[in-house]
Amino acid sequence: MRLFGPDLHVLSGVYALEGIDDETERSRFEHHLRRCQQCADEVRGMSATATRLGFAATQAPPPQMRERVLAAAARTRQLPPVVDHARAAGETRQRRARPSARPARQVPRLAWSLVAASLVVIVVLATALLRTQGDLNNVNQRQAAITRVLEAPDARAVTGPTSVGGTATVVYSHARHALILTSAHLPAPPRGKVYELWLLGPPRVRAAGLLPANAQGHTSPLLVKGLDRGDKIGMTVEPAGGTDQPTTTPIVVLSLRA
Amino acid sequence: MDAHGTRPAGASPDLPEGRNRDLDGLLAQVARGDENAFAILYDQLAGPVYGLIRRVVRDPAQSEEVAQEVLLEVWRTAARFDPARGSAATWAMTIAHRRAVDRVRSAAAAAEREKRTTMLLPPADDVADAVEASLERERVRRCLDGLTELQRESITLAYYGGYSYREVAGLLGITLGTIKTRIRDGLIRLRDCMGVA
Repeated sequence: MRLFGPDLHVLSGVYALEGIDDETERSRFEHHLRRCQQCADEVRGMSATATRLGFAATQAPPPQMRERVLAAAARTRQLPPVVDHARAAGETRQRRARPSARPARQVPRLAWSLVAASLVVIVVLATALLRTQGDLNNVNQRQAAITRVLEAPDARAVTGPTSVGGTATVVYSHARHALILTSAHLPAPPRGKVYELWLLGPPRVRAAGLLPANAQGHTSPLLVKGLDRGDKIGMTVEPAGGTDQPTTTPIVVLSLRA
Repeated sequence: MDAHGTRPAGASPDLPEGRNRDLDGLLAQVARGDENAFAILYDQLAGPVYGLIRRVVRDPAQSEEVAQEVLLEVWRTAARFDPARGSAATWAMTIAHRRAVDRVRSAAAAAEREKRTTMLLPPADDVADAVEASLERERVRRCLDGLTELQRESITLAYYGGYSYREVAGLLGITLGTIKTRIRDGLIRLRDCMGVA
């Protein structure tokens, strides 16, 4: 449970009231619910409690609504039942849980398009942020480079938890010799330290840049060039300014299979 | 007072047992395409669904629109209701609440809402005059009165106001951690108060 922090179950109340507006946070909690029967029971009781609050707000609906709804139902086809409730719930809610599996794993094809979509959003946000700081030319070039990786025909995504919490997601293309790394819910590094990335190749280890400052749990995407086949990507905690070679145990290592 | 949510299954503080069974049974018929059953279910649920949406969305025309969508979704997805996960009433009211919240959380609506002062409890004339509804309202009000001020305000803002817990924390000027705990503690207390039916 270390991965989720000690107070994850405290979310049961705000979850039952649909008070979590952060997709990632909700997905994590839903993932947790699938493994914690006690939490699921608690949420069920709280949802029933919320239902009572809802019934207490009962008001007579506009009279014309009845005819309209019944007529609409008469010409609306019903959905068939599904066997897989988890999937049905996900479908109805249009909230796709993206469980952060413990071992690093390849992201399936379908999920990959979601990762790409969310990365595009992050890129756009990061761009907007940087734009306000000027330096438009650089931003445009960087964004174009990132887009080239995202759109590469051989682009793949891999995501994995770090040992200090949160996840790292990498989209990589061997054809473009580049990757993009972004993180979610990664705690800020200790004072005077930074997260440094490494390309871990069979021949040698190369420094691949420092993770940009963390804004609200997400780091803006970092473009790493010079990717070779057989490389893995790793992240360590290093003194501010970074080092030439890793000096600590990586907090995450992801394989970048072709 | 059970602080850890280990209430035995089947003792959830839902609606009175008989009414729940009726709704569950009706929904099962609706799932088989029974339009008459849907008309009866409508009469049972339209008031609560509309009333809740009205509380969250406020605007009558928009509330009506959302309520219609919700009731039609109940018809459309009835076969996907899973009684193992809760009662039909909770299923339908969850859909209603989610749709209402989605409506007010859209950017434009949020800006509009900023300007509005929040009304924590409904005025007495703001609810249906059905005897059952007013009894239920009275019970709920009594249980809400048993909460601490902070618990009551945060639950009311989150549920009836449709605010996220981050927004609630901002509105009340307290930390996210405190809000999460207060809402959970408050709901546990409410649940136990209502469960003693």
